[in-house]
Amino acid sequence: MNNLVILPIIIPIITGMVMVLFRNNIWLHRFLSLLATVLIGIVSIMLIEQIKTAGMQTLYLGGWQAPFGIALVADMFAVLLVLVAALVTFCCLCYAFSSIGRERGRHYFYPLCLFLIAGVNGSFLTGDIFNLFVCFEVMLVASYVLISLGGTKVQLRESFKYILINMLSSFLFLIAIAYLYAMMGTLNLAHLSVRVAEAGQGGVITAVALLFLMVFSLKAGLFLFFWLPGSYSAPPTAIAAIFGSLLTKVGVYAIIRLFSLVFYHEPGVTHLFIGVLAAVSMVLGAMGAVAYWDVKRIITYNVVVGVGFILAGFASFSVVGVRGSVYYLLHDMIVKALLFLLGGSIIHLTGTGRLKEMSGLIRLHPQLGWMFFVAALSVSGIPPLSGFIGKIFVTAGTFQTGYFWLGGIGLLTSLLVLYSVMRIFMNVFWGYTNLTEETEKGTTKGLLPSMAFLTVLTLALGLGAEGIHTYVDLAVEGLLNPHIYTGTVLGGNGQ
Amino acid sequence: MHCFYLVIAFPFIYALAVPFLYNKFNSKVHTGWFILVVPLLVFLHLLSYIPAVSSGRTIYLTLPWIPSYDINLTANIDGLSLIFSLIITGMGFLVIFYSIYYLSKQKEELQKFYIYLLLFMGSMLGLVFADNIFVLYVFWEMTSISSFLLIAYWFEREKSRSGARKSLMITIFGGLSMLSGFILLSLITDTHSIREMISKAGMIQSHSLFVPAMLLVLLGAFTKSAQFPFSIWLPDAMEAPTPVSTYLHSATMVKAGIYLVARCTTIFGGVPEWFWFVSSAGLVTLLYGSINAVRQTDLKALLAYSTVSQLGLIMSLLGLGSAALYFDVAEEGAVYAVAIFAAIFHLVNHSTFKGCLFMVVGIIDLETGTRDIKKLGGLLHWMPVSFLLALTGSLAMAGLPPFNGFLSKELFFTAVLNASKMSIFHMETWGNILAITAWVASVITFVYCLIILLKTFGGKPGDYKLKKKARKAPVAILIPPLILASLVIVIFLYPNVLAKYLLQPAWQAVLPTFAETASLQIKISAWHGLNTELLMTIGVVITGAFLYKTLRKWYVIFRYYPAALTLNNLYELLLEKMEKFSLALTRRYMTGSVRDYLVYILGFIILTVGGFFLIYGGPTFDSFRDASVNYYELGLLIGMLTSALTVLLARSRLTSVIAVGALGFLVAFFFVLFRAPDLALTQLVVETITTVLFLLCFCHLPKLKQEKTPIRVKAVNGLISAGVGLVMTILALSANGNRLFESISRFYENAYELAGAKNIVNAILVDFRGFDTMLEILVLSMAGLGVHTLIKLRLAERRGNEGTE
Repeated sequence: MNNLVILPIIIPIITGMVMVLFRNNIWLHRFLSLLATVLIGIVSIMLIEQIKTAGMQTLYLGGWQAPFGIALVADMFAVLLVLVAALVTFCCLCYAFSSIGRERGRHYFYPLCLFLIAGVNGSFLTGDIFNLFVCFEVMLVASYVLISLGGTKVQLRESFKYILINMLSSFLFLIAIAYLYAMMGTLNLAHLSVRVAEAGQGGVITAVALLFLMVFSLKAGLFLFFWLPGSYSAPPTAIAAIFGSLLTKVGVYAIIRLFSLVFYHEPGVTHLFIGVLAAVSMVLGAMGAVAYWDVKRIITYNVVVGVGFILAGFASFSVVGVRGSVYYLLHDMIVKALLFLLGGSIIHLTGTGRLKEMSGLIRLHPQLGWMFFVAALSVSGIPPLSGFIGKIFVTAGTFQTGYFWLGGIGLLTSLLVLYSVMRIFMNVFWGYTNLTEETEKGTTKGLLPSMAFLTVLTLALGLGAEGIHTYVDLAVEGLLNPHIYTGTVLGGNGQ
Repeated sequence: MHCFYLVIAFPFIYALAVPFLYNKFNSKVHTGWFILVVPLLVFLHLLSYIPAVSSGRTIYLTLPWIPSYDINLTANIDGLSLIFSLIITGMGFLVIFYSIYYLSKQKEELQKFYIYLLLFMGSMLGLVFADNIFVLYVFWEMTSISSFLLIAYWFEREKSRSGARKSLMITIFGGLSMLSGFILLSLITDTHSIREMISKAGMIQSHSLFVPAMLLVLLGAFTKSAQFPFSIWLPDAMEAPTPVSTYLHSATMVKAGIYLVARCTTIFGGVPEWFWFVSSAGLVTLLYGSINAVRQTDLKALLAYSTVSQLGLIMSLLGLGSAALYFDVAEEGAVYAVAIFAAIFHLVNHSTFKGCLFMVVGIIDLETGTRDIKKLGGLLHWMPVSFLLALTGSLAMAGLPPFNGFLSKELFFTAVLNASKMSIFHMETWGNILAITAWVASVITFVYCLIILLKTFGGKPGDYKLKKKARKAPVAILIPPLILASLVIVIFLYPNVLAKYLLQPAWQAVLPTFAETASLQIKISAWHGLNTELLMTIGVVITGAFLYKTLRKWYVIFRYYPAALTLNNLYELLLEKMEKFSLALTRRYMTGSVRDYLVYILGFIILTVGGFFLIYGGPTFDSFRDASVNYYELGLLIGMLTSALTVLLARSRLTSVIAVGALGFLVAFFFVLFRAPDLALTQLVVETITTVLFLLCFCHLPKLKQEKTPIRVKAVNGLISAGVGLVMTILALSANGNRLFESISRFYENAYELAGAKNIVNAILVDFRGFDTMLEILVLSMAGLGVHTLIKLRLAERRGNEGTE
């Protein structure tokens, strides 16, 4: 029992609620929202240290032992994600201070962001499949409101599709849980793991596992990503950055969690299938990124490629491959947020997203330009930035398992990714300068620090990969040895 | 930490200081002067390793970077890396010196130029010293990136940008394939060190992944070293300022591929695959490059193709030399190992004479404002020193005495002749073709060397109209090429000094296993008597001179070669097709219509789950647990079906809303029947409220328009919905039939004792699973906030917010 585990969920909810009460005090909103993310960051660092020394931390809510109550489980994988999510949110919030506008600020932008984070953190930390569903709902409803916040035409059109498709997936999620409960008679993930192992992952269980995979694929944008490019380009930059960085990753997390803890007995079927879906997403995502001459589209399609790559490593289901996935997941959260923020700033300055209308921005905005350059290299996994270590391990993992096609597609699409983001860089920043300070549509005042922070982070994570290897390795160990998880959560109960 | 690392890191550290130096001093002193320190210092430090290395020792250092995954900055200071690093720093010094006079301190953004250059220098040094394959890959990609930035130094020019992009795409592609080759190697050998891989060469060569690994690594080497057909990026890279072309694109970066092949020779060499791939790629490139060089009119493009061709020559030598490893007894193979020596020798020579030529071309460009040989001519009268330099450079390249190119060219012929007499690897049939190709390429090389020299400097000065008046180059800018030109001659005069201290250690480093058993000793001399090699050279001169005289007559054949079939066009076409195809495909499925998206999602579920059932055995039904169906339950079901259908078919909103309400109420009845009265009550309240709300809202909406959907769409819709229903039902029945465990719900039946609640549902909601409830309350409050903002906040459209095309 460790009460720290619930703090990443509770802190944002409580601060968010307080903020709703003081609706017009924007300064309070800004202060509290930053404070909340900082606190979450501190809590997660404390948790990380505890897990390192004492193993996974659990909290049985209401004191009801697993599997009867809801258990929160903080293993290294989950807490690492909580920490990075807090970092990313911190940056996006700072960015929002000078970009989101007064009206959106007054209409609960900050509390909604915190609620979203609460849902995200809850999804990472929960050890109960129904609670996972509820946390998804928290996150999704917050995202429904955020995506439509402002009520512009594009936002309404895209949020309608977004909501409809997510409703459908929530519905399927619920059905899948019902089926699983019917067979297994339990909702606790650890308990499910034990029972599935005991019963053997037969045909029907695998079929239900596939249904879960469909649900999470929809959330993660794994193959079923049709809704993603449109809806991620509709909201303002800070929101889009949080979406692009975090929301899909929750789906990815759920896939990794479920298929490493519960449904890990038939990797030849389920994991291979995940690998196929990952390959298709990488190819389609990269093609989408290459196809368009529009900043936002290129970046949103890159989200899809990233998701595919992370899961490619997981699909290999080897130590090396999963290690690569974890590294790449952490990297991807940071660099996607950075890319969205940079892309948003470009549009903010020029007033357009069309590459053909922009040119020579680097003369007036060298910092922005070079940060974009670094981000572009990082997102394509060019060393020594943060993507490369994950890239090496993901590829090595797929090769080790014999999925040469998967590793090969991963590398080839990373080339296309580079092509697509370099196209932005070369068109926007190079060439003759066609804008002067007077004709620009906005300024980068106040926007740069948050992006600079993320840029430094992607550099540090690449050069200092050694610094986090203990944590990543612990996360991988936890993922690949489900009995550690079940043993910690259930104690003697489920055995 | 060994001081060696500080020296290697020096360029990177110094790069950080460049902006400061630029801002502070550039108005008075050219920034280049400050940069000169870097290569000089590193060069001098590296010289201090010569005694150790030339006595056959290898210095092996390790600096941890990511030790947990065995990715460390291990440095392997042996003959091969030393010779490369000396070229890198030595040429670096000369090029920076040259750039001080080449790039104007007023007009150019010098700080960027020197930062990129230092980044490159550091990466290139890292590349040649790295023993860890992944560190090598890191530096490999960093050289590609810095080269990209340098090519696009004048980023306002369209051509610079496209040249930079082309080089980036091709070299990064190669880098990725090299990486995958490395990963395969590391999986085979379980090590990340090239040295250890060399000791496990036998294990690698007998592995089933040997050929893929080899091809992938070679792909990396070939792209970087501009081997056919990846050579197309090099001519376009000439958009970079001339110092860059001199440095990266003739002397150092393009030789990284050569370095890699040399390093891996012991790992892969000795098998026919490696022999044939490397030597034939080299020979084809040699021929291709030289033929294309002849047709160029831009001096830099000509030099670029000649670089391609010379790189091919070196590559082919490495391939031919690998045959030595075929023989178990080292003495037998020693004859063929000479080719490797020739490769290293020619690599050094090429750096000197080609560097000199590039610098001269840069001076010509600077002074006359053009590099077009159609416009140039008669420069001899104004630029006699430059002429002498060009003479030295081009004749060395052509392979004439008394220049160093002669010595290595002779060795090349020796190596080819040796190889053509081999009786392994099917050389009995192909040997002569090899020799003839080498000779023909040499003839063409001779022709373009004459073109460089005579078309530029020859002719009467009055015949040519030059924009800027040609004038004598400033003395200082001539110093670097003068140094190189004198090296060209000095090496010719004293080749064995160079061989003793640098070339032979490098040779031994390429063939470490070989060096242990056989003595790799060679004595270079200019005069071997009248042997075949010399005859070949004489033949080259005579035929070449004849071809140059008749150039006008046969030059026309180039015009018949269709432009559409050039590699460049194929590359452009590939990119264009890829973009077009991607756009077409993406547009095809990304329709923006929700209906299509739902079809994809649901269709995919049918295919996956249904398909799984079909492939992996059908679902198992087990009906003994199913309760019997009563007639009133059947009635309710029919009622639900009817109202669901009514929603679909209704022509007015009112009817639909009422039908939806009816459906909800009927579900509530089921709850009653299955003894869940509290759920039924909740359901009834919810249904009532939503129906009322719907009715309230809908009176503001216009009348429902009758949609005209084509039959085909309707059929698909029907099929999908029936399919999803079927799959879900089958799954539900099988799940129900597979109740494998007792439910945990029994625990809650004790609610009164556990939680003091008589109502088990309430106890679950507020106690056992109270957290869920709390979060659901949060969901509802957020939904409330959402409704509030939707009504209150309507921001005006701003273009920036639009994400669509």
